[in-house]
Amino acid sequence: MQQFEDKVESLLAIAPYGQPPEERQASLLAILKEELSYACQRHDGYKNYVEHWPVDFQSAGQVADLPFLPVGILKANPPLSLVHRDEIKRTLTSSATTSQSPSRVVLDSSTARRMTKGVVSIVRDFIGPTRRPYLVVDTRDFKADANALGARGAAIQGLQPFANETTYCLSLNDQGDLQLDRDRLRDFAKDRQDSEVLVYGFTYILWNHLVKPLMEEGICLNLPKARVLHSGGWKRLQDQAVEKEVFNQQLARTFGCSPERIIDFYGMVETVGVIYPDCSEGNKHGPVFGDVIVRDPLSLEPVAAGEYGIVQVCSVLPTSFPGHLLLTEDRAQVIAYDGCRCGRRGISFRFAGRIPKAELRGCGNLQVSRLPVN
Amino acid sequence: MSALTQRVSSPAEISCAAGKLRRAVADVEVSPNDVITVFDRWARSLQARELDDTPGIPFLRMWLRRGTLEPIIARELGPNGLHGGWNEYGRAKCKAFPLGVIGHWPAGNVEIQPILSMTCALLGGNAALVRIPHGLLDLTQHVMEKLVESDSGEILSSRIFMAAFDHDRQDLQEAMARSVDGAMIWGGEEAVLQIRALPFPHWAKVAVFGPRISVAAMDAAVWGNPDEHETWCRRIARDVWQFDQQACSSPQALFLEKASGQSTEQFLQALRHAFETENQAHPRRTIAGALTSAICHARASWLLKDTAHKAVFPKSPDWTLLVGSGSDVPQPVQGKTLMVLEVDNLAGPISQFDGNVQTLGLAIADPEKERKLTLLAGKKGVDRIVKLGQMHVFVPPWDGVDLIRPMVRMVRHVCSKDNENAN
Repeated sequence: MQQFEDKVESLLAIAPYGQPPEERQASLLAILKEELSYACQRHDGYKNYVEHWPVDFQSAGQVADLPFLPVGILKANPPLSLVHRDEIKRTLTSSATTSQSPSRVVLDSSTARRMTKGVVSIVRDFIGPTRRPYLVVDTRDFKADANALGARGAAIQGLQPFANETTYCLSLNDQGDLQLDRDRLRDFAKDRQDSEVLVYGFTYILWNHLVKPLMEEGICLNLPKARVLHSGGWKRLQDQAVEKEVFNQQLARTFGCSPERIIDFYGMVETVGVIYPDCSEGNKHGPVFGDVIVRDPLSLEPVAAGEYGIVQVCSVLPTSFPGHLLLTEDRAQVIAYDGCRCGRRGISFRFAGRIPKAELRGCGNLQVSRLPVN
Repeated sequence: MSALTQRVSSPAEISCAAGKLRRAVADVEVSPNDVITVFDRWARSLQARELDDTPGIPFLRMWLRRGTLEPIIARELGPNGLHGGWNEYGRAKCKAFPLGVIGHWPAGNVEIQPILSMTCALLGGNAALVRIPHGLLDLTQHVMEKLVESDSGEILSSRIFMAAFDHDRQDLQEAMARSVDGAMIWGGEEAVLQIRALPFPHWAKVAVFGPRISVAAMDAAVWGNPDEHETWCRRIARDVWQFDQQACSSPQALFLEKASGQSTEQFLQALRHAFETENQAHPRRTIAGALTSAICHARASWLLKDTAHKAVFPKSPDWTLLVGSGSDVPQPVQGKTLMVLEVDNLAGPISQFDGNVQTLGLAIADPEKERKLTLLAGKKGVDRIVKLGQMHVFVPPWDGVDLIRPMVRMVRHVCSKDNENAN
């Protein structure tokens, strides 16, 4: 294990988007094979799955041929784990907005450390390395349970390495609803018009609990050097018919910054340590310690540039759970396999929402017992 | 849009169409024989090469033939039913009369179901008002154009209106329900419950073909005979391939009775070969992302769950064999995902059926054993027990009920003069 841990560390130490695709493919393939072997040693069921994969992973010539798991498998309870119970430091849970049961991923100290390094490496490439005042558009109550961390808590915490002080500007009222703490927000914004600041919130929380109330009152925070990061997806805002362009414009107006300083990133607790921020061209990229494969649902082969498919995320960071190769339930369009004008190497892609739920299925579907028969 | 298939956007369009259909039924009586004559021509027109790859068309061609339909009419409507005559039962006579306008709510992804459902109503002399699910519009239109070409006298064309609208247009669903005298409802639990709750007239007869699954079973004397592997495995593959395993008659599991000293390995190799061959002959043209996801999930969860579990599948989601043991009927995955489960005795899984199983496809060497299993299956709620390879043969009774008779009125006449004589 030490050998591939060293290789992962070396990938975390280099520029996250500088490697040419062929070089990245080779280094990821080698490490992922070692990690798969390790995972097979630690989990009999996973080994059984890998052994039945149509391609022997040891002889696979590309990352796309390696055995992937559908992300829904991580909804298992107890969670799929490659480490002993004593070694689990924290369990991350997804927000479960589109299903009843959340995903659960277990982190040991090594995986947690790599997760932090992964996020730092990626975010640094987008906003620079300096620490700055950090405004969290959420409530500090997320820190209450350190052992079980939700998607929001994980994202908030993942940006802490860029903070020299942290302010939470939402609180819970007596009914348990989020409300804006105007005094705290005012204090944060005061005298900071010339300072770099970092702002993070879930997309729908930023809109509903900060942008909307301040817009109604015509308030601008006058933070022209703010970097606003948000994640969590657009589903809840689409329900309110809020498009991304409008969101960016209103958010920029509220903070008094340019829309280019607003960065939407995609992240799932299952892809621990790897997030996918929008680049200046509006595309997303995979870092050197992870990659993205967009698969044709008909063949499960990678699609050509310009085509849509199901997103598979790859990451060498987790070793405490089998999350190296995960087929998500999201769709994306591959923009190009290299050469994005932003200068980042490797695949560029854009998310295209969730896989649509199947239409009401044929007469062969059923959920419950039909007749009481003797 | 063709003349028979229209996108509708207002309840008034549906009411107006239903009014025309009702007048067509009242003006001209058509016998089942008249209908079959047109159907027979229609079946021949469906042999066009451009339709070869259309799912369900070979099946529809067979269903529409005179040789298929005449025995069904005779059984359901009596020996004189074919020509619309009276059947004598002692001193009484009975004749089938149409209910009027029959509404059809087919399932969303069994390609030819709107058409199959419609044909049942037409054979009873009715008119048909059919809601076409969005995804089936093109195929249905194409097939209906062939009917129009085969129906120069407009015997049937005047009795059909196919309405295309989104299933969440409650106002249109309600307008359709209010306009009909009978209804044939097909689909999953959610769809069936929604449609049954629509405001049908109090006189409307409603036939529901709700969610069911089907399973297959083989005894050791059959699967243990290598000489028969190829034939039986080809039959299983064909039953799985039809309708992409989404029909209620599609086998979701195959129970194999264990035999001492015999391994299923060779049989599974033959089954794999049959699946590969069938896939080459009838590859999938398209797939919903959600189904791909479900297939990948089924493969992973099966193998992770138990190290004794095995599976065979290609890199693509084309087909999957999940192999293990146990008598429980599994939740269906669909998409050509067949669970192959070894059991000590086939009576084990059959005795656990709970009414969800519609069709049991069998391959049993001993007729006496098959007779016993058939009795047990019937008792446990199975409505169709057929030979493997024939699980989709659409012959009534279906789901335990006739297909044409529920949508007619059987009028009884006892002659008044005979009554006087008798007195």
